[in-house]
Amino acid sequence: MNGFFVALKSEMFIARHTLSSKLIVIAPALIIILQNLLLWVTTTGQEARDNLLGNTSFDEVVSTNAYGYFVDSMSTGLTILGLLLTAQAAYSFSYERDTGLVRHLLIRRVSRAALMLAKLAYLHLLALISFVVSLIAAYVFSGMFWEFGPIVEDGFELISEADILAEINTGLQLAMAPFPAAIAFGLLVSVCSQSATQAVTTALGVTLAVDIFKSMLGDYANFLYARFQPSLIDASYLQDVSRIVRGYSDVLVDEEVLQMNLWVPIPAAIIFLVVIFFAIHRKNI
Amino acid sequence: MSANISALALSVNGLNKSYGSFEVLKNLDLELKQGSILGLVGLNGSGKTTTIECILGLQEANSGSVSILNHTPQKLHETRGKIVSIFDTPSLHPNLTVRQSLEHAKLLSENLVRTPQRVEELLGIEKYSTFKIKNLSLGNKRRASLAQALLGNPELIILDEPFNGLDAEGVDDILALIRRLNKDKGTTFLLSSHQLPYLESICSHIAILHQGKILVSDNIDDLLANTNHSILLKTETETTAIKFLEAQGDITIINKNSDGYLELSTKDVRSSDLIRQLVENQIAVSELVLKQASLGNLFRTLTSEESA
Repeated sequence: MNGFFVALKSEMFIARHTLSSKLIVIAPALIIILQNLLLWVTTTGQEARDNLLGNTSFDEVVSTNAYGYFVDSMSTGLTILGLLLTAQAAYSFSYERDTGLVRHLLIRRVSRAALMLAKLAYLHLLALISFVVSLIAAYVFSGMFWEFGPIVEDGFELISEADILAEINTGLQLAMAPFPAAIAFGLLVSVCSQSATQAVTTALGVTLAVDIFKSMLGDYANFLYARFQPSLIDASYLQDVSRIVRGYSDVLVDEEVLQMNLWVPIPAAIIFLVVIFFAIHRKNI
Repeated sequence: MSANISALALSVNGLNKSYGSFEVLKNLDLELKQGSILGLVGLNGSGKTTTIECILGLQEANSGSVSILNHTPQKLHETRGKIVSIFDTPSLHPNLTVRQSLEHAKLLSENLVRTPQRVEELLGIEKYSTFKIKNLSLGNKRRASLAQALLGNPELIILDEPFNGLDAEGVDDILALIRRLNKDKGTTFLLSSHQLPYLESICSHIAILHQGKILVSDNIDDLLANTNHSILLKTETETTAIKFLEAQGDITIINKNSDGYLELSTKDVRSSDLIRQLVENQIAVSELVLKQASLGNLFRTLTSEESA
């Protein structure tokens, strides 16, 4: 494997002994915990006021169900994770080139292609770990403050727990689908940049710019992987899931868009990978 | 022929490298025999680092070929740790400690012959073991870099400006270490530096690089044997002295320097013989200083000739 496992071990070693990777695992979970705490404080106050006024409504039923908060938490966590992963991917190679560390790997044991594959593998592993930690944090903290269950109004079950879980499962899968493309984009910027600072600012700048301008592209935005990623101006399917699991019936799901959500990130990631492998072999290190 | 090729740790043929229209390396040829210590000498900007980076495949040459331990620069990783390089700026992760850096380097060395603790002791950095690299002085960063190389048993060590940032004791330690590894393990070294006295004291071979070209590359003893000594002579009977010296075939008068010394160049004449001859010819010698042939002399002569 021309040093793939050596490079992967090297990535793991540095991750174990430095802060940036740990931050990626912990930061989304911490944000999730903070969001749930703040929402709990807000909704508790709201609930107390409604009880005093004798108001009981559909909104109250919804506001005590934990699934909605869980989905919102995951949406926030994945937004943070997406940005952090893009930044980390942009930082990973360019920083090691800046410090000269990558030279040791290339001279002693690792081919350039194996180095890139190891970085991709490591970043995906990091994404997976962070996703699982976020999932646990979101489940525990939304379950701690609210109650998981079906949406029931006036004794009538609007949406069953099984349906809710199925929707959440679909929403999370679709939200994670663009992550390989986001990681590959960050790594591509890393390989092409002159320094780590330039790489991180460029990767984040482009990601945020796409986020801002995607609504102006209309249906053409469906051909951008970033359109489907949970983001600051979120247009991902998780937004719809958030309303569906709260029992709202006015959510219009476009099956074609869901299919594009699933498939568009794949060619985007492949294109980025091809350019990465072309660029890394021509790069002065 | 094949035995000859296998005895070469490094062979560079017709290497050319340009940055835009600026030619950094011009048809560069270089050979490094296994078990030898080659000093690549050159002024700042002469192309030493670019040469090393092209040899190691970190930069792509425009043309030419490189064979390093019988591998191309693109396949260097296949030597599996037999080549180690330490650069002018130590290539270490700033947020790892010295010990962690060595543990990290262990991953890259196939045949470990020393423990991280042992190499720290060898290089006198054991007291900095828990220090982060970013908090070390340049000299200690360089020692930590070298320590990484000593974990394994590399066949070829390439050091780019190894003496920069080191104090006198540090330089002595590095020189002693290079001597020991070369003698005991037969490790081949390529050292690039512009600090000629250090290279002269340790190298078996010297290549002088000037403006992207190798001016000369040979065994250091042969090079110095063919290099003139220089003599500084101060005399009150200067005209007579010049006439006498001009009549000697093996002495060349270079010039008269600002301190009033005649600068002479000679290959074989011993200072005692010269003084005796001058006195016999009624030339009053106020002062005579013999400067042995040195790498510095050779370098200055060759580079000034080339520039002229």
